[in-house]
Amino acid sequence: MSLLVVLAVLGGLAAAAPLLTRVLGRDAGYVLAAGFLGVAALLAVQAPTVLDDRTVDWRAEWIASLGVSLALRLDGVSLVFSLVALVVGALVLAYCCRYLSDAAARGPVYPLLTLFAAAMVGLVLADDLVLLYVFWEITTLCSFALVSTAGAKAAGPGRHALVVTVVGGLALLVAVVLLTLATGTTRLSSVLADPDAVLASPYAVPIAACVAVAAFTKSAQFPFQSWLPGAMVAMTPVSAYLHAATMVKAGIYLLVRMSPLFAGQPAWSAVLVTVGLTTALLGAVQALREHDLKAVLARSTVSQLGLLVAVIGVGTSTALAAALLHTMAHALFKATLFMLVGIVDKETGSRDIRELSGLRKVMPWTATATAVAALSMAGVPPMLGFVSKEYLFMGLLSADVTPWAGPVAAAVAVTASALTFAYGARIVHGAFGGPVEQPELYEPAPAFLAPAAVAAVVGVLAGPTVSLLDPVLDSATTDALPGSTPPSIYAWHGLSPELAMSVLTVAVGLVLFWQRDRVDAGLQRLRFPDGPALFTRGHDALLALGGRVGALDRSPALAAHLSRPLLAVVALGGVGLATTGALPARVGDGDPGRWLVVVLLAAAVLGTALATRTVALVALVGVTGLFVSLWLLLSGALDVALTLLLVEVLTAVVLVLVLRDRPLRLPAPGPRRWPTAVLALAVGLVAAGATAAFTGRRDLSAAGTFFLDRAEELTGGTNVVNTVLVDFRGLDTLLESVVVGIAALGLLLLGTATVPHPTDTDDVLLRVGTRLLAPGMLLLSAWLLWRGHDEPGGGFISALVAGIAVALRQLASGTVPTRAWLEPRVLLGVGAVLSVGVGVAPLVVGEALLTPFSLLPFLSSALVFDLGVWLMVLALVVAVVQALGARPERERVDA
Amino acid sequence: MSAAVAVGVLVAGGAYLVLQRGLLRVVLGFVLLGHAIVVLVLAAGGDGRGFPLPGNGAGAPADPLPQAFVLTAVVIAFAVTVYLLGLLRAGSTEPGPDDDDARGPG
Repeated sequence: MSLLVVLAVLGGLAAAAPLLTRVLGRDAGYVLAAGFLGVAALLAVQAPTVLDDRTVDWRAEWIASLGVSLALRLDGVSLVFSLVALVVGALVLAYCCRYLSDAAARGPVYPLLTLFAAAMVGLVLADDLVLLYVFWEITTLCSFALVSTAGAKAAGPGRHALVVTVVGGLALLVAVVLLTLATGTTRLSSVLADPDAVLASPYAVPIAACVAVAAFTKSAQFPFQSWLPGAMVAMTPVSAYLHAATMVKAGIYLLVRMSPLFAGQPAWSAVLVTVGLTTALLGAVQALREHDLKAVLARSTVSQLGLLVAVIGVGTSTALAAALLHTMAHALFKATLFMLVGIVDKETGSRDIRELSGLRKVMPWTATATAVAALSMAGVPPMLGFVSKEYLFMGLLSADVTPWAGPVAAAVAVTASALTFAYGARIVHGAFGGPVEQPELYEPAPAFLAPAAVAAVVGVLAGPTVSLLDPVLDSATTDALPGSTPPSIYAWHGLSPELAMSVLTVAVGLVLFWQRDRVDAGLQRLRFPDGPALFTRGHDALLALGGRVGALDRSPALAAHLSRPLLAVVALGGVGLATTGALPARVGDGDPGRWLVVVLLAAAVLGTALATRTVALVALVGVTGLFVSLWLLLSGALDVALTLLLVEVLTAVVLVLVLRDRPLRLPAPGPRRWPTAVLALAVGLVAAGATAAFTGRRDLSAAGTFFLDRAEELTGGTNVVNTVLVDFRGLDTLLESVVVGIAALGLLLLGTATVPHPTDTDDVLLRVGTRLLAPGMLLLSAWLLWRGHDEPGGGFISALVAGIAVALRQLASGTVPTRAWLEPRVLLGVGAVLSVGVGVAPLVVGEALLTPFSLLPFLSSALVFDLGVWLMVLALVVAVVQALGARPERERVDA
Repeated sequence: MSAAVAVGVLVAGGAYLVLQRGLLRVVLGFVLLGHAIVVLVLAAGGDGRGFPLPGNGAGAPADPLPQAFVLTAVVIAFAVTVYLLGLLRAGSTEPGPDDDDARGPG
């Protein structure tokens, strides 16, 4: 339960953040930071359970049919990662309180940072693969949104970050699906408990590959690394959080989490170690040639993450313990450095080491804190960074895939670390060394410096006292590598190979710093591929390819456009002819009178093809519709026949409204008349063949039997079709009414520039007839609606009857009756409210959506639902009459 | 079998019309194609049955499910048709190179 509380509190803080900033301005960050620490404390009190190698679990059903649940689990690994996210988050939020202006604090930064933290904590607590994936994607979206708060300049980098990490997210989704297929469960702990099931399945390699791609994209590993330096356009607190404790650490978490499955597998080790060390070296070299302090730090994150990936790839207990320890150390020193660089940036207006100089004199405390954090990053005793780097070396040395793997990996790591020392020195010396050039500057306010200073101090104190972390690391390492015996963590373990490597690192680093001008000149000559530019080129090329593929089917000529799907239908018919085997015998042949209807129908259709005048075409299409209605009637589809009949009448009225100002003669047929006719006949033949082959060959379906047998008993209605519409499949009907409503709105938007059509009919019969008919038709409509549940009728049919009355009125008098309640928008709104309301009402008493109930003895929920449908369909008709019945503006001017 | 012939006739007529010049023919071609679908779906419920009202004594009632499907489909097809007519009309107020109807005589 406490785990649910953890997530609920974080979610609540995110929701409350906008309100808090409205009241407290930027100081709302302190409240949020306190909330984070409170949540961290909630988790910390569970630590005894976790340290005892047990877990804290909470779970609730989510998608029961798929076995997916909202399962949360706190173990050693998740304790480490969630505490890092929460504590660093608290520091960053406290830092925000002085970094942001009140106006900026009222923006989306606070809610997003809090949501980001919530997603990260959810990610590391998730004990269900699907849940893990969901939180994973939320962190991606939060990071995109946070980067985007930097405005227009963040558009390119933001897109780069989003696309790369979303691709990784898709890889994770594939891995999740394959893991579920391989193990038959989505429960993460069950999956991890049975590595053999995964490794023995045919999906083992794809799963490992997808997990690796997901982690590499998230943690900015080669060749995906370039999104992370680009993302530093975000404001500094966001960068600090993204680089130190969330986002990129999610990839590291995933690799640690999946270690029980893959640790020790040679291919897994080879890929992770190679990619990790390549990234570490590349990032370190690039960091050393940057002039922008923030860019140095961003490249440094890439490099440090590379070391972490490599050491996780080694997969021994020492290596995994080192990864966990270095994750903490990195979070502390990287958050500190980002916050301090932000302070320098704010105070001096620059982050470029070529413009900064001598700040140690004017900002001694800032300088000290930066130096301390940089020493931790460089791996100098007694900092926490020193201890974690020692263990990194130890872990890499323990690589045993091949005999030479350990020494080679360690050598590369020493090189990367020496470069780390050098760029750490570059940061400190670049900003704080040299002569004072801006003597008017002064130390930032204590509250601004405090969060960074706290992190720096913790980084110092945690070094010598690192053995306090031993139980936590012990538990986490056992979780990451079940059955292993983790090493004990000491600050000092005598004269060891690792110490020699550390000494070498510092020595080489000092040489690099000493010869910094030459090193810099040499590095500036190096040319690296421009990652963001490559991404943009690839992205643009992909979009262009999409455009070209789409252009194949984009033709201004309608006939050319439409003939393609028709040709595809013919091809499909050919395939069907070739592949369809023997068919079951036909069952019954129904009313023979229908053949006569079909012959008449064919004559009418032939007429439409030959028609040269508008009136003839419209009349023949109308006649076709009447014959179709007749066919439906003879087939027993009474309601459908009635609906189609009414639709035909209404269509005829609308056509007259639309066409009365138009030429009587149709345009000449297109030039290729005969090929078109052949294609049309071929399509018709395929359609006829398919219909003959696939219909009329079985008796009543099971669903049909059920509806016929049980409809009256279950719904109280005897018109089975109507009960299907309003009771059994009410949701379908509701959504279809919404489609009708959307068409109505579309028409209203189309028909803007219109004026009322002047009365131009002198047909007295029509005028008087309409007046007399209209009330009767409205009564008829009401009657059809009322009886629809039991006999032919219902919302659709009755609305069409009412619609015809409205349309005839327009045709006869040229005006639409203008009453407020007859506005399409009002009709639509009321109709939607009625239908949805009566559908949702049963939920209140715990029944299913759209459960039928009785409002009054003679008023069932079905009738109210149908009334809603009636209103929405009527809205369409009124919209049609309003939009098409009025004469377009231009024509009036012409007249 | 009459359903198959009806579907074939309607599809052939509809396909011919949508490939012609003039937006009105295209719109009405879609109307015919819509009719074809109605007949097809209804035929899928089985041939050779009568009215769906239980107890009316007119032979075996037809399957109500496809009827419910096509009933709403008919109304939606109507909505699409009038929307297309709205487009036709909106297009005719802004003459363009691909609007055949705007160039008609008179």
